[in-house]
Amino acid sequence: MINRTQLIYFLLINLMLITILSGCGKGTESTADLNLLRVWAHAGQESERTVLQQQFARFNQAHPDTRVELTLIPEGSYNAQIQAAAVAGELPDLIELDGPFLSSYAWQGHLQPLDDLLDDKLVADLLPSIIAQGSYADRLWAVGVFDSGLGLYADRSKLNQAKLRIPTLQQPWTLTEFETALEQLAKADPDGQVLDLKLNYAGEWYTYGLSPLLQSAGGDLIDRNRLRSADGVLNGQQSLAILTSLQDWISENRIDPNIDDTAFSSRRVALALGGHWNYQQYSSSLGEELLLLPLPDFGSGSKTGMGSWCWAITARTEKPELAAEFLAFLLTTEEVLAMANANGAVPATRSAIDASQLYRPGGALHLFFEQLDKGHGIPRPRTPAYPVITAEFQEIIDRIRSGGEVASALNNAVEKIDREIAENRGYPQSGDQP
Amino acid sequence: MSRPGQLNDQTMPALLLVMPALIGLLLFILIPFSTALVLAFTDLRLGSPLAVSFVGFDQFLHLFNDPDFMRALLNNLLFAAVVVPLQTILALALALLLNRGLPGTVAFRTLFFMPVVFPMSLVAVIWSLIYAPGPNGMMNAFLHWASLGHWEARDFLRDPLLAMPAIMLLSIWQGVGFQMVILLAGLQGIPQTLYEAAALDGADRWRQLLHITLPQLRNPLIFVMLVTTILAFRLFDQVQIMTRGGPENATTTVIYETVQAAFARQQVALASAMTVIFFLLVLAVTWLQRRFTHQHREVA
Amino acid sequence: MKHRTGSMLLSYLLLIIITTLFIAPLMMMLLGSFKADHRVLLESGSVAALLPHDLSLQNYSDVFRRSDFMRFFFNSLFITSCIVICGLLVNSLAAYAFARLQWRGRDLLFNLVLALMILPFEAIAVPLFYGASMFGLRDTYSVQILPFIANAFSIYLFYSFFIGMPKELEEAARIDGASTLRIFFSIITPNAKPVFATVAILTFLTWWGSYLWPTMVTIGPAVRPLPLAIASFYTLPPLQWGDILAFGVMMVSPVLLVFVIFQRWFVAGVASSAIKG
Repeated sequence: MINRTQLIYFLLINLMLITILSGCGKGTESTADLNLLRVWAHAGQESERTVLQQQFARFNQAHPDTRVELTLIPEGSYNAQIQAAAVAGELPDLIELDGPFLSSYAWQGHLQPLDDLLDDKLVADLLPSIIAQGSYADRLWAVGVFDSGLGLYADRSKLNQAKLRIPTLQQPWTLTEFETALEQLAKADPDGQVLDLKLNYAGEWYTYGLSPLLQSAGGDLIDRNRLRSADGVLNGQQSLAILTSLQDWISENRIDPNIDDTAFSSRRVALALGGHWNYQQYSSSLGEELLLLPLPDFGSGSKTGMGSWCWAITARTEKPELAAEFLAFLLTTEEVLAMANANGAVPATRSAIDASQLYRPGGALHLFFEQLDKGHGIPRPRTPAYPVITAEFQEIIDRIRSGGEVASALNNAVEKIDREIAENRGYPQSGDQP
Repeated sequence: MSRPGQLNDQTMPALLLVMPALIGLLLFILIPFSTALVLAFTDLRLGSPLAVSFVGFDQFLHLFNDPDFMRALLNNLLFAAVVVPLQTILALALALLLNRGLPGTVAFRTLFFMPVVFPMSLVAVIWSLIYAPGPNGMMNAFLHWASLGHWEARDFLRDPLLAMPAIMLLSIWQGVGFQMVILLAGLQGIPQTLYEAAALDGADRWRQLLHITLPQLRNPLIFVMLVTTILAFRLFDQVQIMTRGGPENATTTVIYETVQAAFARQQVALASAMTVIFFLLVLAVTWLQRRFTHQHREVA
Repeated sequence: MKHRTGSMLLSYLLLIIITTLFIAPLMMMLLGSFKADHRVLLESGSVAALLPHDLSLQNYSDVFRRSDFMRFFFNSLFITSCIVICGLLVNSLAAYAFARLQWRGRDLLFNLVLALMILPFEAIAVPLFYGASMFGLRDTYSVQILPFIANAFSIYLFYSFFIGMPKELEEAARIDGASTLRIFFSIITPNAKPVFATVAILTFLTWWGSYLWPTMVTIGPAVRPLPLAIASFYTLPPLQWGDILAFGVMMVSPVLLVFVIFQRWFVAGVASSAIKG
């Protein structure tokens, strides 16, 4: 005989089992609604999210017969979640991707090319860097509505005090000038630390922010012609030289570790490597004293980083035209500006640049646009091996920071990258893409 | 009276009881592990459109020649060899302290147990702040104060020599409460009469500890060491969040290498091979541990 | 007498010192969650880390604003509770069979179960993921619950406890003709409350903070659990430490509360398993 308590437990457990097994609470809709466009994007800063949601609302209002639906996914786990969904074959119609990882998804066959889906005029209005980032194997797979800007922020008063020349994009500092500048600035600095490289960020920042130094010195992450090997390039003379210099600057105590993230905004350092996202904080801290300079020319010209989030249409979608239409909407000048104003990034179209207060000629951040327009921006290597390349480069920087031997760190990385590419047989293109 | 036959062979009811758990273990642990075992002999990569092929023992050979993996094995062994005894001794010391019946024992017990309740990811975040480099970091400031100014601020998590000890410290901090609670209860179960008899015989506190306390605590100690050893080999969250295996492989572990291989480098087959080696290693270690301590199965 | 008081005092002092060192990190987390982001780092080195001043609830309101906290909290609670409750049933039954019944293959299977205790989840995550994808179970509650119900460690804990229980009650019931299941539910279970409490709490602790699996199998916010939501705070650097700590405090508080309330059972349970084991 079962008593009442046992009966209750029994029913409770059964209820739970039924709930669980019925898969109730399925998170994503599986409607084949012909006019529903499912879109995934990363949950970035609040201003970005708000604008994005407003954009979706605007499009839906303007097109009552269709519906675009946004799912926001946490930024910290975004790539992992997208990759998992991709492998499981469950991608939506339109997804946002972090630029450098585009090649991987394109090669794996999850995306479809945009060449025939986007209007030629639209594509012509895009900045060359946007096209560069979104291309892989001679086709265009993704477009961003904004790009990133990387530069050297400087404290004008400190530079003047040290009697340093203010560099321009046409005449950036040379390596000698740069190192002299560090020394001159250090003389007036109580702790001798005068440059902030945002080493506290770690992660992808290392590759984004520091590989331009490599490229400026004539080195690079990988041989760009064939994208088959990093040997002789990542561990070549020029790369070795500039990274050794980096290690020297660290050991000579010229670099502020920036643990509290306020090295530049609290005016502890004179120079800071930084991006467009730092502008707001820096301009409110330094006001008129804030300068935006190009990165130095370490031998092969002043180079800068580029690349950010971009939109791609998935291979399996049944509504590529609708997706393309929505994409075109996001690229209209008003919408591009709405987003750029929210996150301070470089607008992706020339029309938007001209209309932007910050980026038009004479604007405070016009340098970012110029750099990208004139080809100073080097995209991170467009190969599916990128995740390994960036992981290895970050490892190199970690080793440099802890005083390890630079040459062996480079050789180690090269070996791993080359092996990765070899094991993937050089990422052969598989037949025709849709 | 039931028939003798029924008492001795309870296979039917036993199978009924055991079936749900066994099915679960089979479906969700054994089969995936077997899959990993098979995958370890292939060259499968996550999401790759390339065809998969069998490569025999290549992945294993690759691992034994891989300095990162070998260092990870070493680190795991080192970590277990240091943390298990240290944490156990600390837990025992705390349990002995708390067993003296000082006021507020329950409060202390709760406090020491609190870190156990924290997810390791949160513990890692907190200790990242503690280990912040520069004189402002809590640990640096504390050591500076404790050494009367002789300590120079270090970047613990980036120092090849200090990174592993730093991780060990926070792991011990997180785990000692669990062991302490067990040992304390064990202590409280030791009859006072044993101590009184020994005192009468002239045994001092130290001898009492060695000859009464420790033997009486045998079972809890063995339990605690077995569990801690297994958990020590599974070291992962702290490393991923705080040091990412660095600096220079000083803190990488087998599970960290496995996750890196599988998710950052998409080398599923290589990660599977690591899993197999890991399993065999820990199996061997725990088997050795059990042999040397043969747990007493006291049936009350 | 004096000697004893002296040594008691010394012990107490030692205890206080150790405790202070021990809870410093906890205090830092708690206080940091009420501070502005940049202050968290700035003050971590001084005593200011441990002293409250200039506190605000800003971080907490940020967390609610930015991450739909309640929904994810509910998801985590539901998922973890299901794992715990189903697990209690399934694992205790199995452990009882191993501990008290004689049957063919018992020892072999038990050793297998013990061996499986070694495997951490990360080791089997990828094959399990392929399986879940194949059966179309992604992004549901089920896929976050079912794989974790049967648990070798729980079985071991139950086993260690059951082994040490006195046999007389069961023998008497068996003589009276009671079935195995009945014995389990009416005799074993009521007398094994400590170990049930222990397994419940430990299982809860294990899965409350689970991050890797949800990352692999969920996408939208509908069934997303709490630990994944914290990834929303890991955006472009600089990290907002204040928000992250506030999130942490909120994530840990319920568990802490449950522990503080039930700790007596729990302590007794953990202890008896170990002692009898």
